[in-house]
Order: sequence, then structure tokens, then C-alpha cells
Amino acid sequence: MTKDKIKQIVLDIIADIAPDEDLTDVKPEVRLRDQLDLDSMDFLDIVMELRKQHGIDVPEAEYRELESLDSSANYLLPKFEASAAA
Amino acid sequence: MDSNHYDVVIIGAGLSGLSAATRLGMFEKKVLLLEKHYVVGGLNSFYAKGSKKFDVGLHALTNYPSEYSGKKSPLLKLCRQLRIPFDSLNLHEQSHSRISFPGKDIIFTNHFPDFLAQIEQNFPRSIDAFIKLLEKMEQFPAYSVDAPELSTREILGNSDIEPLLSEMLLCPTCYYGSARPNDIDFPTFVMLFDAIFKQGLSRPERGIRAILDPLCIKLKELGIERRMNAPVKKLHALNDKIEEIELESGESITADKIISTCGGIETEFLLSDFKNEKNNTEPGEFSIMESISVIQETPKKYGWDETVIFFNNSEKFDYKCPDELVDLRSGVICIPENYKSQTEISDFKLRITHPANFSKWDALSKDEYQEQKSAYESLLLKNGLQYLNNSKMNEESLSGRILMTDTFTPKTIKHFTSHENGTLYGSPTKARDGSTRFKNLYIAGTDQGYIGIVGAMLGGIAIANNRILRSD
Repeated sequence: MTKDKIKQIVLDIIADIAPDEDLTDVKPEVRLRDQLDLDSMDFLDIVMELRKQHGIDVPEAEYRELESLDSSANYLLPKFEASAAA
Repeated sequence: MDSNHYDVVIIGAGLSGLSAATRLGMFEKKVLLLEKHYVVGGLNSFYAKGSKKFDVGLHALTNYPSEYSGKKSPLLKLCRQLRIPFDSLNLHEQSHSRISFPGKDIIFTNHFPDFLAQIEQNFPRSIDAFIKLLEKMEQFPAYSVDAPELSTREILGNSDIEPLLSEMLLCPTCYYGSARPNDIDFPTFVMLFDAIFKQGLSRPERGIRAILDPLCIKLKELGIERRMNAPVKKLHALNDKIEEIELESGESITADKIISTCGGIETEFLLSDFKNEKNNTEPGEFSIMESISVIQETPKKYGWDETVIFFNNSEKFDYKCPDELVDLRSGVICIPENYKSQTEISDFKLRITHPANFSKWDALSKDEYQEQKSAYESLLLKNGLQYLNNSKMNEESLSGRILMTDTFTPKTIKHFTSHENGTLYGSPTKARDGSTRFKNLYIAGTDQGYIGIVGAMLGGIAIANNRILRSD
């Protein structure tokens, strides 16, 4: 697993839950909320899809780690690695 | 695992129950959806009679994401949450609608600046105070679960807008969602004001089925078990938990969590330890009678180009459960064919709605009921015609062109929703966060306080998200 792959995974999830958003120009360092129309319900869906598709658990207190693609990749990488090793 | 054990049991396949079930199914919960009736939809259902299709509840789908409101509409949010493409609803916007009081009319469209212009034109002395009121409404946390339930009458009364304008604002908002007599709580007022005026009115091409069908298909795809004709008999309580759900069929079911959408007091009635106490949820009283006439030709032929008309015959709007069978002083008229559809039609519907008293209707014998129902059917039509624009029609000249009329009373609503008193908007006391005195029982739908089709769906979604998905 690489950070770039994780960013793509998150982007694919966003494309599923918010098909009306244009994702061609999402800047990885900028907060997702600041460039896309996403609210807390959408972030819940990102978390739920990570669990459903990849078996990754994100506790509610850590939802804010997913605020940008970069922060998501940093936060999720060890989780993906741990789940691959398991 | 025991095959009669579920992660979540949902009571009621109305819009809130269907929406909650969809959310939970999307994330692999084992869900059982129970419905007392043989059709889904609850208050927002449909039926066919004499080869004509009728919607029960749907006058208008509010919250149309108009140009003015942009992406802020909750309707877009719920489409996303349920993964129903917005375009698949095939929504048609209203032509225009009107609030009609003696000597004053406010016409509105899905373009909010038109509404502001109407206020300025009709109430020039009130426009500054009205703008201030709009600012106050924007700052008010109406959408938050702990929004204070202030009195809208009091707030409007203190706002320096003319009393007649207050009454004219209360009329459509109360009719589209107040459970309180003669008032509406301020959060609901703000939400409905946004939903009706800032966003807008529309209707799916296929009526309520355009929403119910995709939800039912989705539930099937997600493997959600749905049982129709499956009324709940008792919820067996032990301490602070519901231990068992007993069906009328005698079957016993267990669940980690239960979402009841059948209403606050109606849920309490199901509890095995139910006692008639004064801290029970207070039943609501507001109900309606509605008469739907199917008329030959097109509304245009009759000069009727409006979609919805909220009318009142005096300067004071009196919104409550009437003392008599029906209150003819005010009501709502809707012509669903005046949503801008391209479909060619050879007949159209005229729906006329008035406040009505459940107990009075319920006390009638079978014969008296039929007699009063048909007597009021013609009274509603005769009375309603005077509020339609350009009407050269009177009851006699119209009668030959009416293909059929169907009428429902508060008793019909009780039958389909199981709401005490056939109430349209449930109890005046709401549980916005859905909590009850049991730690595994939640209330969703009408008595959660989110009103209308969009509100019911968002309410069901919120309970599924906040009480079940988030807490895992």
C-alpha cells in the first residue's frame, strides 16, 4: 500500500457518495470541505465505506484526520499496513 | 445467530422507516422492516381508483434546490445519503402559488426574489422589519437537534411586521407542518419557510411512487427483510431495555436496537409496561379532510394556472382542530398538473384540503359517516371554487365535467398511519434526537419533528446515522 493508492481509494469513495462533485482538480493538501460540498454526513459515509470495503476502522474522535487527502493518507497508511499484515 | 434476532428492527415502512432501513442496509446491518399495512409510504402513499392513480399525501415536494438556494437544499443531501440520483426523481417545478387572504394575495414561485418583491409591493411599511426577520431566521439554529421551541406567533408579533403579514406567513407554514394549535414552533417555521419559499415546490413526474419505488428496489438489493401486514402487538420492556418485539401473529423477535416510526404516544401504547400517565407524549389533534376531484380537460381551459393556494377567509388565521366536523374558513387547494410537466393530459386533479375533527368523524355511525362525507365533498368544492382565479365555474357548471371524486377524512388518515386522532403532524411535543426512556428504542418520523416528505426521510437517515452507524 502507498499513500498515493490511499488517496485514490478515498477519492473513489467520494466519487461514489457524491457523484455530482467534480473531482478532477482536488488538491491533496487542501481541506476537502473547502474545495468540495461535503458535510459531516458525507464524512460518515467515507468512514463507513472504508470499513465496508477495506475493513479499516476510524473511531469517531479521529474523523478529522480525514480532512484532506494528504492527512487521510498519513493517517490511514499504518491502518492499511496493519490490516494487510494481519 | 438466532434467525429471529436482528441488529435493528424498524417499525413502519413510511418514508422515515424506508430511509432508515436503506442507510442501515447500505452498511450491512441485519434489518427487519415491519409494516402494518399492505402498502408502503404511510401518510405518503398511493392508491388507484376507477383506473386513476392518486397520491395520498403529496401536494408538493418542498426543498426544491432552486437557483437561489443552490446546493444548500436538504433534498440534495438526502439523495446523496440514499444514493438516489437527484435527476432520477424527474422533478417538475411549480408554476406559481398563492397565499390568499381577504383583499391581499402573496404570489410566490421557486425564485425567492419574487417573494420579496411581493412582500414589498403588498406590505411596503413592513419590508424593513421583514428583512430583519429574515436575518434573525438565518441566525437561528433551526436545524440543530436542541433548537429552542419558541413560539413563532410571539416572534412575529414582536417583529414590527404588520399583523396581516404575520397571519399570511403562518398560513402555509402551519398547513405544511405544525402540530401545535394556532402556532408553529420557531425551528419548524424556519425550516418550512426555507423549504417552501427559499428553496421551492416541485413534484416528481410519477408522484410519490418516484420516491417509494427506488427505495423499495434498493431495500431488496440490499437484502433487507421487509414484512407487510405485520403489525406489532407489544414491545416487552425490562428495566431500560426493550427485550422482545411481539407481533400480532404471535411471533417473537429480538433486536439490538429498535426504531419506531409509528409516533410517540403510539409507540408508548405498544409498551408492555404502558401506564396512562401525565408524562406520556401528548397526542396531537390536527387532522384534515381532503377532497380530490378528477376533472375533464386541462386546468388551463378553466383559467386555473396556480399550483397551490393557501386561503383564509378573514384577517386572522385560526389553525386548530375545529369544533365541528370540518373548518371551511381556511384550507389548501392543489392542482398537481400545474407542476410544469411536458406530459399531455386529458384530465386533471383538484385537491381541496381543510382542517377536520377526528373525534366528530369517529363518533358518526356508518350511514351518517357516508352522508356527511358526501355532503362535505360538495361543500368543499363549492367553497374552494371561490378561491381559484378567473373562475367562471360554479359548482353546477363544473359538475358535468367531474369524472370522479374521492374524499378522505381523519378516519382514513388514522387507518393508514395509525396516528392517534388521525393527526397529520403528530404530537406537539417532539423528540428531535429520537431518544426515549429505553436505551435501545428510538423514535423517528413525524414525532421526531422533521416534517414533510423531505423531513421524514432526513429524520430516518439521522437516527440511522447518529444512533446506530456512528455508535458502533
